[in-house]
Amino acid sequence: MPTAKAPYPNEQPAAQATWQRQLVPGITVIVLVVILRLLGILQAVEWEALDSFLRWRPAEPTDKRLLIVGINESDIQQVGTYPIPDATLAALITQLQMSEPRAIGLDVYRDFPVEPGHTDLVEVLTQSPQVFGIDKITQEPVAPPPALPPDQVGFNDFPLDRDGFARRAFLGAVPAAPHPDAERFRIAFPLLLAEAYLAEDDLFLSNGRRNPENMRFGDTELIRFGANTGGYVRADATGVQMLINVRSGALPFEVVSMTEVLTGQVDESLIRDRVVLIGITTPSIKDQFNTAATNAPTHPLVYGVEMHAHVTSQILSAVFDGRQLITTWPDGWEYLWIVLWGGVGMGLVRLIARPAWYVLAVGLLGLGLGGLSLTLLWWVGWWLPVIPALVAFTFNGLILPGFYFYDQTLRSRIAERQRVIEETYDAIHNGPLQTLALLRRQQDTLSAKANEQLGNLNQELRTVYHRLQQESLATTAQLQLGNQQMVDLRNALHEVLYEVYNETLQRDFPGFDTLKFKVVKFEPLQESWLTAADRRSLCRLFEEMLCNVGKHAVGAKRLTVDCRTTDTENLIRVADNGKGNSTPSASAPPSPFVASPGGRGTQQAQALAARLQGEFQRTFQKTGTICEIRWPLKRPRPWWQTYPWRPNP
Amino acid sequence: MTSPSPTLKLLVVDDHEAVLGGTVMTLEKTYPTAAIRTATTVESAQTELSYGAPDLLMMDLSIPTAPGATSEIEAGIELLRSLLERYPELNIVVQSAHVRSLVRLKPAIDSHQAGFTIADKNLPMQEMLTKVDWALKGLIYTPRDMRAGIEVKPEWLEVLRLAFKEGLQDKAIAEEMNVAERTVRHYWTKVQDALEVYPEAGKNIRIQTEIQAREEGLID
Repeated sequence: MPTAKAPYPNEQPAAQATWQRQLVPGITVIVLVVILRLLGILQAVEWEALDSFLRWRPAEPTDKRLLIVGINESDIQQVGTYPIPDATLAALITQLQMSEPRAIGLDVYRDFPVEPGHTDLVEVLTQSPQVFGIDKITQEPVAPPPALPPDQVGFNDFPLDRDGFARRAFLGAVPAAPHPDAERFRIAFPLLLAEAYLAEDDLFLSNGRRNPENMRFGDTELIRFGANTGGYVRADATGVQMLINVRSGALPFEVVSMTEVLTGQVDESLIRDRVVLIGITTPSIKDQFNTAATNAPTHPLVYGVEMHAHVTSQILSAVFDGRQLITTWPDGWEYLWIVLWGGVGMGLVRLIARPAWYVLAVGLLGLGLGGLSLTLLWWVGWWLPVIPALVAFTFNGLILPGFYFYDQTLRSRIAERQRVIEETYDAIHNGPLQTLALLRRQQDTLSAKANEQLGNLNQELRTVYHRLQQESLATTAQLQLGNQQMVDLRNALHEVLYEVYNETLQRDFPGFDTLKFKVVKFEPLQESWLTAADRRSLCRLFEEMLCNVGKHAVGAKRLTVDCRTTDTENLIRVADNGKGNSTPSASAPPSPFVASPGGRGTQQAQALAARLQGEFQRTFQKTGTICEIRWPLKRPRPWWQTYPWRPNP
Repeated sequence: MTSPSPTLKLLVVDDHEAVLGGTVMTLEKTYPTAAIRTATTVESAQTELSYGAPDLLMMDLSIPTAPGATSEIEAGIELLRSLLERYPELNIVVQSAHVRSLVRLKPAIDSHQAGFTIADKNLPMQEMLTKVDWALKGLIYTPRDMRAGIEVKPEWLEVLRLAFKEGLQDKAIAEEMNVAERTVRHYWTKVQDALEVYPEAGKNIRIQTEIQAREEGLID
């Protein structure tokens, strides 16, 4: 049974267009985000997101395994000289040692003697295996205190990001070439302190089991930083580095001043069994790092000694408390995550139709993505590519649907208008026109004049409808011919071509006047892979072919039009038996095809034929002119599948 | 294809009850023994056709697809398109004043193998009855507006050439063209419609066709 067919059987191009309107821009956005990230352009925002998320975590309790002895401004005032003399440092270390800390880290350069009391300090340092000092191995190296053996010296450098912030810590490294002792691998200062602390629990530094590149204490592997870890792109990952998971909260560590220690005001329990770090805590001495991840009162600056404390604390807490280190996904999963959220942004518009709800949904999902990323960082230590995912999602979710909704509103308005026109016409058709038809059937009883007027009235009413209908057709679905008539492009191609033929032949051209008859054949064409633009171009070309007969054929009696599908190709041919005029007289209007054989019209026809992988030709013979375009039935293979070394089936 | 069967089966499709009633009454007067059925929508027309094709189908172009839907020309055009596709031997009379919307079906109408006439709804009943009669005889009639002058298919020209230049009879023409004799007869009605030669009392239609074809230059 021929069931109710869709009113317009050729709507595939429209459906395809909808598909393209939504998919192509969405995928473009995703691809762009991925490219931007691969190029490293998103690095800075991803770093800032990580800093903010680390800062927004709830405060953690103060670490009881560390104590910072800060040499602050009033300490320096009291001593009355800077650098702090060796005698003061020796006294400070001796005082601390009385409370038996596990390790003392002296984060103060002592590559040269600072008198008075240098011999005191040398004595203290040589006799204390639990005291550790610093040197600097990158850029301009600074030597360690000469009195300390090499295994009690750690370097205090931090690898800085391009924005000058410290987010990574060295665990170990081989110094750069200009360093006087460049070949020896050495341990960073904070790791050295952690190692000394853990040694008393019989935990020693060794290679990772899951990943031999990692460093390991017991079952805890310190995840090694790679050049493309997390949001980093082609970062300098020399040595062994680790992402810093700073201890959150305003009071991560207990801090006492040098004077408080020297005067015995510090409770012994704050020192015993702890790692004690001695360092400068005054802005007047430049020993500060930029780090936006902490809640320090000096934000975004943190004293060097605090930075070391964060790293030592991170290692100790990971080993003893299972506190999370910062983990990232392999690159492939990160990009999948970004693509996934871009896809969610694209799909959302299909699920929620009402704009207000839609915007709310996009907002909530965006917040959800941010919240999820924050929660995962807080609980599991996962650093996810939240910014690229958020960019892909909101672009696809908000900006593209803006166009989509606009387009849809426009369409529904046009459809609404069309419906009003149809309903109006139906009302006229079912009422007045039927009455009129009944009336006219009784024409014998009416006067000739009344009959004629009724006929006119009938014609006028119908004309109104046709004009309205033609105006309301979407412009993409119709083709305006030379005589201003509109042709609906949504029908089967051979039917559309017939309409073009029918309309064009009614135009007033000299070449048509002599025509006695036409031999025509319009059969269905194989048009499944033609785009809407191709169909439009074919109709235009066909109109042009017919117009050329009208304008240039001389004395043509017969017009032959052939539109059909042969076994291998589609064919549109227009031929006349006129004397053909390849060199039109000056008075003849210039024709795109004829006036200059390589002119614009011909070029367009050739371009269309090339696009369809077919052929366009126009031949002049004594017996007439033949103009035709033919193209293959099957879709031509795309160019990348027609490499010379690949045999064509 | 005039039906020799005593009970002529007619199906009339029109959405307007008043018009439908008038048409059926007129038809009953002319074909008193005919079985006339009616349909008011595309759906009901298709249901009627599923019981068996009638000898003639007469349809309005502006009809609703289903009961309650509004009448639209597109629905009628689509019904007609599917009829031409599925029932190539069905005699059809289209009642319409929308000749322009029928233009795009012209290729399909030209390939139709049975009677096909278009009756202007506004013409008196007698005209409509003539169109019904012609369609039942397998003739073709399309109004002049639907054609740009004289329009023929290559096969029809071949029939004219074989008949009037070679002097062949239909049977011989059929053999020559490698088609059925029925098809040749059908080509005659097509070319006669193109030349606007229609049955007239007391005139030989073949000779009329030859005169007209020579006048128009279809044969030299």
